[in-house]
Amino acid sequence: MTETTQRPRTAESSAAVVTEFFDRYRAHDVDGMTELCSVNADFSYVPVELWGKQRVLRGDGKVGTVGKPLWTGLIASFPNLSNTVHSITSNDDGDVVAQVDIEGTQQLPWGLIAPAGRHYREPHLFIFHVAPDLLIDGITAYWNDAAINQQLGHNEVD
Amino acid sequence: MTSPTPTPTQTVQAFLDALTRHDIDGAMALVHPQVAVTVHPFGLQESGTDVLRTVLADLVRAFPDLVIGVSRVITTGDVVTALFKAEGTQAASYAGAINQEKHLDIDQAWRFVTGGGLITGVDAYWCQAQLYRRLAVKRYDEISIA
Repeated sequence: MTETTQRPRTAESSAAVVTEFFDRYRAHDVDGMTELCSVNADFSYVPVELWGKQRVLRGDGKVGTVGKPLWTGLIASFPNLSNTVHSITSNDDGDVVAQVDIEGTQQLPWGLIAPAGRHYREPHLFIFHVAPDLLIDGITAYWNDAAINQQLGHNEVD
Repeated sequence: MTSPTPTPTQTVQAFLDALTRHDIDGAMALVHPQVAVTVHPFGLQESGTDVLRTVLADLVRAFPDLVIGVSRVITTGDVVTALFKAEGTQAASYAGAINQEKHLDIDQAWRFVTGGGLITGVDAYWCQAQLYRRLAVKRYDEISIA
């Protein structure tokens, strides 16, 4: 019989999971990022909102079906995509709040933004929830997409 | 007998309650005189109560029917993060956008740092693209032109 040891969920162990998440994001290891999440982890990138004539698309859903394609597409459009973690705070209930700058240089279209080789760097606030099994089961993020658009030379409010 | 120092959660909850009532003085009574204020959508990074008072007062002035709907308050030590939706109808210019009487609903996250029963730091996050979209602004380089 194999005995496995499971670290208990504490503020420290939850923060460590999120630190590892951003390490893998910096390494463009999207599969590794997803492996840190539960299979049905919730996902919400609040600023992701595309208004069409008959529909509005939002960055809400699950990590596996919305988050992973967004991360993959972002890395494809910004091949040098990186992040700088400024602060991580957490509690014993699995809540983790991270202040992170995301930056990259655009090489392919991103949404409605044509590539012009420009660089962006923008502060983000991420709110994670880490379950007792130390898998992330919720990711929510906020940032100012207008600033990213302007840094990339896209001045239309789409 | 002195009353106990409020917890970080109590301090921020009282701030949010005052903002919900449009009670700017009540909210500012919970803020340290040298509070560090960063409002990312405005590119604003300053210290002192005047700047935060102006941010709050401008919001209430521009949206007199402002409703603050708090969905989550997350306490991680001395840091309290509040997730809320700000809703209201524009009645005056705001963030450079002229008044077209549009309705606003913007999800925001405010990260508060607390100490000694006061708010010592605020980082406010929301998406200005969502805000301008709702206020019928067409271009970032011509915000005041409808």
